[in-house]
Amino acid sequence: MGVVVPRNFRLLEELERGEKGFGDGTVSYGMDDADDMQMKSWTGTIIGPPGTAHDGRIYTLRIQCGNNYPDQAPLLWFRSKINLACVDQRDGRVDPSKFPMLGQWRREHTLETVLTELRRDMASAMNKRLQQPPEGLTYN
Amino acid sequence: MNSAQEAQAAQLPRRIIKETQRLLSEPAPGISASPSEDNLRYFNVMILGPSQSPYEGGVFKLELFLPEDYPMAPPKVRFLTKIYHPNVDKLGRICLDILKDKWSPALQIRTVLLSIQALLSAPNPDDPLADNVAQHWKSDEPGAIRTARDWTLRFAQS
Repeated sequence: MGVVVPRNFRLLEELERGEKGFGDGTVSYGMDDADDMQMKSWTGTIIGPPGTAHDGRIYTLRIQCGNNYPDQAPLLWFRSKINLACVDQRDGRVDPSKFPMLGQWRREHTLETVLTELRRDMASAMNKRLQQPPEGLTYN
Repeated sequence: MNSAQEAQAAQLPRRIIKETQRLLSEPAPGISASPSEDNLRYFNVMILGPSQSPYEGGVFKLELFLPEDYPMAPPKVRFLTKIYHPNVDKLGRICLDILKDKWSPALQIRTVLLSIQALLSAPNPDDPLADNVAQHWKSDEPGAIRTARDWTLRFAQS
């Protein structure tokens, strides 16, 4: 058994990485409330990949990191309406049974890798030509 | 210790084991630190607010983690109890040089906790982490101290 970084310090690391920015900026995330010492509520952003039905769109997601994160997967909901195989159209929830990174969660996964994988999923053969709802709609 | 903990302890660097034993057997006054059961690198810490400070009478909970490269890298420490202090931000992160660039492997968990206790006695608004708190401290020190005392009463009671 290696060194296990406890939840709060893991989330602080992720917060700092999110604040500094990473990659090419096509996915990003931050905490909703700078006062929330539990660090539960986050917002993620994904810029739709070019050459797909999502090109030019900016999607925001609500992310919840529970008390057992990262031993347990975070919960994610799209705020922006999107037509994707893994998204429940009733509430925008990313369905873990249809999105393997959440369904077969491992501790090494991070908010960054989940958002990056979702963006990759938008460009998959199954998803990239799906007709999308008009821009600007949100789930309630 | 149960067998799972023994297995964990067997992998723990000797230095961490010795520091832990000493923290438990000779705790520094006003400070307690004990490793959590399922992660011997993760400590539950309590620091009593120093007398003559606005934190007097408060019991402050913190968490401390020894990263993989400890003691080459400093421990990570955070307040869990809300505290009004210019060098502690809203998430409980602490601005203290020995937790950053002034860290040396010659320092220990004990020295870190004593330094945090000292920081409670001597807030340093010139090296702030919480900008608005630091500004309050500089523009109206008695008022800031009143707020700190008030927060101690509201949030730091055991």
